[in-house]
Amino acid sequence: MTSTKPTPASASSLTWERRRSTVARFWKAYRTHRAGLFGLAALALIALLALTAPLLVGADVQSVTQAPGTALESPSAEFPLGTDQFGRSLLGLLIWGARISLIVGLLAAALSVAIGTLVGIIAGHYGGWFSTVVMRITDWFLVMPTLVLAIVLATVMSRSMWTVVLAIGVTSWPTTARLVRAQTIAVESRPYIERATALGGGHRHVMSRHVLPNVMPLVLAQTTLGISTAILTEATLAFLGLGDPTVVSWGGMLQDAREAGAVSSGHWWYLAPPGIAIALVALAFTLCGRAVESVLNPKLGVGR
Amino acid sequence: MTTASTPADVARAEKARVTDGAPRTGSSLGYLRHAAGKLGGALVSLFAVLVTSFFLFRIIPGDPVKAMTHGVPTSAEQLATLRRQFGLDLPLWQQFTDYCAKALSGDLGTSFQFRAPVGELIAEKLPATLLLTGVAVVIYSALGLWLGTRSAWRHGGLGDRLNTGLALTLWSVPSFWLGLLLIIVFSVGMGPIPGLFPTGGMESGTGETGLAYVLDVAHHLVLPVVTLVAVGYAQTLLVMRSSLLDEMGGDYLTTARAKGLRDDAVRRRHAVPNALLPTVTMIFINLGHVAAGSILVETVFSWPGLGGLFYQALSVPDLPLVQGLFVVFAGAMILMNLIADLLYPLLDPRVGR
Amino acid sequence: MVMVTKAPPRPAPAAHRALRLLLASGVTAVSLVAAPGTAAAEDDKSAAPKTLTVAVSQSIDSLSPFLAQKLTSTSIHRLAYEYLTNYDAKDARPIPGLATAWTPSPDKLTWTYTIREDSTWSDGKQATAEDAAWTFNKMMTDPNAATANGSFTANFAKVTAPDPRTLVIQLKKPQATMAALDVPIVPKHVWEKVGDFSKFNNDKQFPIVGNGPFVITDYKVDQYIKLKPNKTFWRGAPKFDELVFKYYKDGDAAVAALQKGEVSFVPNLTPAQADALKTQKNIKVNDAPGRRFYALATNPGAKAQDGKTFGNGHKALLDPAVRKALFLAVDRTALVDKVFQGHAVEGEGYIPPRFGSYFWKPADGQKRAYDPAAAEKVLDAAGYRKNAEGKRVGKDGKPLDFRILCHATDPNDKAVGKYLTEWWGKLGIGLKVECLDSVSDPWVKGDYDLAFDGWSVNPDPDYVLSIHTCGTLPATPKDTGATDNFICDKEFDGLYARQAVEYDAAKRADLVKRMQSRLYDTGYMNIMAYPNALEAYRTDQIASITTMPEAAGNLWGQDGYWSWWSAVPTASAAGEKESSSSAGLWLVVGPAAIVLLGVGLWAARRRRSTADDRE
Repeated sequence: MTSTKPTPASASSLTWERRRSTVARFWKAYRTHRAGLFGLAALALIALLALTAPLLVGADVQSVTQAPGTALESPSAEFPLGTDQFGRSLLGLLIWGARISLIVGLLAAALSVAIGTLVGIIAGHYGGWFSTVVMRITDWFLVMPTLVLAIVLATVMSRSMWTVVLAIGVTSWPTTARLVRAQTIAVESRPYIERATALGGGHRHVMSRHVLPNVMPLVLAQTTLGISTAILTEATLAFLGLGDPTVVSWGGMLQDAREAGAVSSGHWWYLAPPGIAIALVALAFTLCGRAVESVLNPKLGVGR
Repeated sequence: MTTASTPADVARAEKARVTDGAPRTGSSLGYLRHAAGKLGGALVSLFAVLVTSFFLFRIIPGDPVKAMTHGVPTSAEQLATLRRQFGLDLPLWQQFTDYCAKALSGDLGTSFQFRAPVGELIAEKLPATLLLTGVAVVIYSALGLWLGTRSAWRHGGLGDRLNTGLALTLWSVPSFWLGLLLIIVFSVGMGPIPGLFPTGGMESGTGETGLAYVLDVAHHLVLPVVTLVAVGYAQTLLVMRSSLLDEMGGDYLTTARAKGLRDDAVRRRHAVPNALLPTVTMIFINLGHVAAGSILVETVFSWPGLGGLFYQALSVPDLPLVQGLFVVFAGAMILMNLIADLLYPLLDPRVGR
Repeated sequence: MVMVTKAPPRPAPAAHRALRLLLASGVTAVSLVAAPGTAAAEDDKSAAPKTLTVAVSQSIDSLSPFLAQKLTSTSIHRLAYEYLTNYDAKDARPIPGLATAWTPSPDKLTWTYTIREDSTWSDGKQATAEDAAWTFNKMMTDPNAATANGSFTANFAKVTAPDPRTLVIQLKKPQATMAALDVPIVPKHVWEKVGDFSKFNNDKQFPIVGNGPFVITDYKVDQYIKLKPNKTFWRGAPKFDELVFKYYKDGDAAVAALQKGEVSFVPNLTPAQADALKTQKNIKVNDAPGRRFYALATNPGAKAQDGKTFGNGHKALLDPAVRKALFLAVDRTALVDKVFQGHAVEGEGYIPPRFGSYFWKPADGQKRAYDPAAAEKVLDAAGYRKNAEGKRVGKDGKPLDFRILCHATDPNDKAVGKYLTEWWGKLGIGLKVECLDSVSDPWVKGDYDLAFDGWSVNPDPDYVLSIHTCGTLPATPKDTGATDNFICDKEFDGLYARQAVEYDAAKRADLVKRMQSRLYDTGYMNIMAYPNALEAYRTDQIASITTMPEAAGNLWGQDGYWSWWSAVPTASAAGEKESSSSAGLWLVVGPAAIVLLGVGLWAARRRRSTADDRE
């Protein structure tokens, strides 16, 4: 999800050129943010680990019947992070768990931002009583306690990854909707929109050709920041026992550790790594998001 | 409040929100109209919450009666008795009208699993939650404001970078995980560190009174508050920092400096008060969040508050209790948002009155 | 006297609050190594009373014996009220409680109980047969009073007390469980003032009048329940000065509290916790045979008493061959080893081995031992062939894909689910583990294929057997029955009816064993394990305590009040020692800390003010 994706219909060489130079300018500015670069590097590393997990550790790492170790071994050469209660390698599970945690984070953030953008643009574009009603609903969602709502949704539906994605996605969109609406109104007050309308551009044309590209940077920043929230929420729901118990995720590992009584038996090596991994990824996404944000809107004054 | 949203996110949403619809006309009539509008909106929201909470929880699968009697010798007659006592034998529309009629008169029904009035149960647990989250919010707001101001004043420096870096890192940590680690290290004791703090609960229950009781509660309060503060102060810090940076770009500061005022005077008298505005509104919003936001910390530290009660009620599901708690959680948010909305124009010096 | 939680305490005076802060910052950590726990609170008590603190997690549903159903509540009622009979700590056979003797009439329909003379209510009044008769009559006439224990009086025709020492119960039809009526007898003179039994929770006035070994003296929802010994208890007063049930909603927090000596006893440990506690000083881990069975249940095609079937259970499971193959592919020893880490006994019959007189296990030819190869053969023979992808397909050509209902809150369900998925996957059978907070909804509607099932078995097995009879099926598909798993088998029902009226213990036990054999052969359930009771207590607080069964038994959730009634405090209980030592320490550390703190505060103040003014 980047702002550089060409819309197939209008992929003239001119727009291409313009977009390429935009990206180049963006990257040049982004490079000056050291924290942002650090975040990006960390993300690249973790993404690489997650993608190559099938080669690195293999799906067998999840198998309980073929677990190589005994229950709750402490770290050793064979199992650098020890084993879980089934004798599976915790390092392997940690790497494997990155896949679910990242996927859930990405999908949930994408869903949330997609809903938010759609609602925001439509409300901003049409205005009038329609906008008022939509924004009332948005406000109402905004005052809903997010975690409570997500817990309820996760309880209502069966335990699966998609439930978690949905629960996070449909509860966290209102902020994006508000921001996008404000931006939409700002964009539409510009003269060229009036020209486009005068030239016969319909609602759909204005929204998709003019408004959407202009809110895209905002959406990008919003997504990046949203992912870290989503990953934390995923861990929270899993910790409360609302995740999918049949897949391995970081939050699920923490929940497993707690259920096994790792905390009071002093098995810190079971508890510490998933938490650190969650914190690291959330931090990386936040740093990237802040860097993106400050590139797009230097006035926000995010430190370099 | 790990799950609220990213600090920067809140900051921006907050700006978008408060600048949206705050009266720009400088008359008190304008303010009254603004206030009336917000009040009306809040009432509509509250009503919507009442209705939603009824239907939202009815779709939770699970038969409360069967769930509560699981593992207990129960005959079909007993099941029917329970169903009748809980009013679950009535048609849904009748349950709904009963609920509405009662809710409007302030009665939130009777909990299935505790067999006590929901209002009473909530009143019993509310002080614990208020104490925990109140103390946490006060501390992390103060800490965030102070560090945020320092950071902004010397932005870009090493101190600023360390400061924001640490805050962001702590913010990224799952609060329940931090709580568990604190329990391992400071409660159970690890290596040379002795177990200094109780592992959970709000009081030892050994019958202290007066000062001893206060100290006992304070002792129990330390670890949960530290957890909430560590995870939460980044928000205040970042909002304060960025709004102060905004202010520092303002022309009036240059003017003030040109008048010969010293830097710290400029900061104290002009920039900080203005920058406080979004931060203060955000603190109110946070206050609204806290009731619901402490679910995790209350679970980890066995804190006898609303969060734990909610989670427990949900698993039955104890319908009247979850409904009541949801109304309380959402109501707190609505109330605090309303206060923030009403305060904003009063505090904003740029909105002349 | 349940009051609203105390108002938020006022901020402590600066010095004391600061003392805490100092502790928090760990500045004095080194000097405080010897003083763990809640020190300040205890220093004013010179002769600390000996308190037995039990960590609990389950909330009290009600303190009214007419409403309470949860284990915590009923356990506390066992302590606060005498029942007609009790169970022997050695072998769980019925022994005298409030009644000293009980005899049936020759026609088996009238039971006469002799009530003891030496039981008095804690307000000084004598406990009589009149109290018992009133309790039962109330339950028979007021449905609200029958909420919790109505099943015990369902077969009662008439209950009278011809004199204060004699209770007569007349039955509609013979009933073998008359020495196992787990109904708390309440004082009539207190309870006859109660109006609506569905609303009265018995938690407003303390101490609560009772005649058990303990008296309930205080209760704060989800914080604690406090009990004091009943000095006039006829069997002898308990030895501890106070019994406190303290709430820890988190199991790890409870274990940590045990390690620190904040609580004396913690039940429901995980294997990892038990193993870690075993090596620790002053802690004894009690790893005892449990009273639960843990099973796999298949949906036998849910139906109601009106003959209508409902639910969407998988049709292939109606084929005994499929069920047999599934159960043959379950390695119960592996589950005991891996999931329970050895803290369980491999499952065989329906009733756990600790109930020796009723325990039954399958004969060699009857037993479904772990044998995946045989499972393959059974499926092949029954016509469930593997398709190109290696999945077994049914006669309709559809692959065998089952769902299993799992309790999201039970780690064992989730763990066993992982093993089943892999074992059955090798057979070519798919399994989807569906975990829910509350499984009751799909369960009651019959919308499941398989489910994890488990019951705690009472010394009298009548109830756990009754839930597999046709009579407990729901009346219509819309109703809810007491049935466990929709099993309805005529042969089983016939045996159940016979044991219910059999007053000869040996003959009844034999019938119960035959019922288990029949249940085993129907193949709807696979008892996987009998999980052990894993619990731990501090030996520096509890010197001795009686388990049930006495030889190797559990402490929490006993059928009698033996554990807490029998517990003997250690000569110098830890609480006492701790407070005196910490009091001494405080004398030294206190002043030093205050000085340190003053300096610290002053420095911080200065720094802050300079930060404010100068930067």
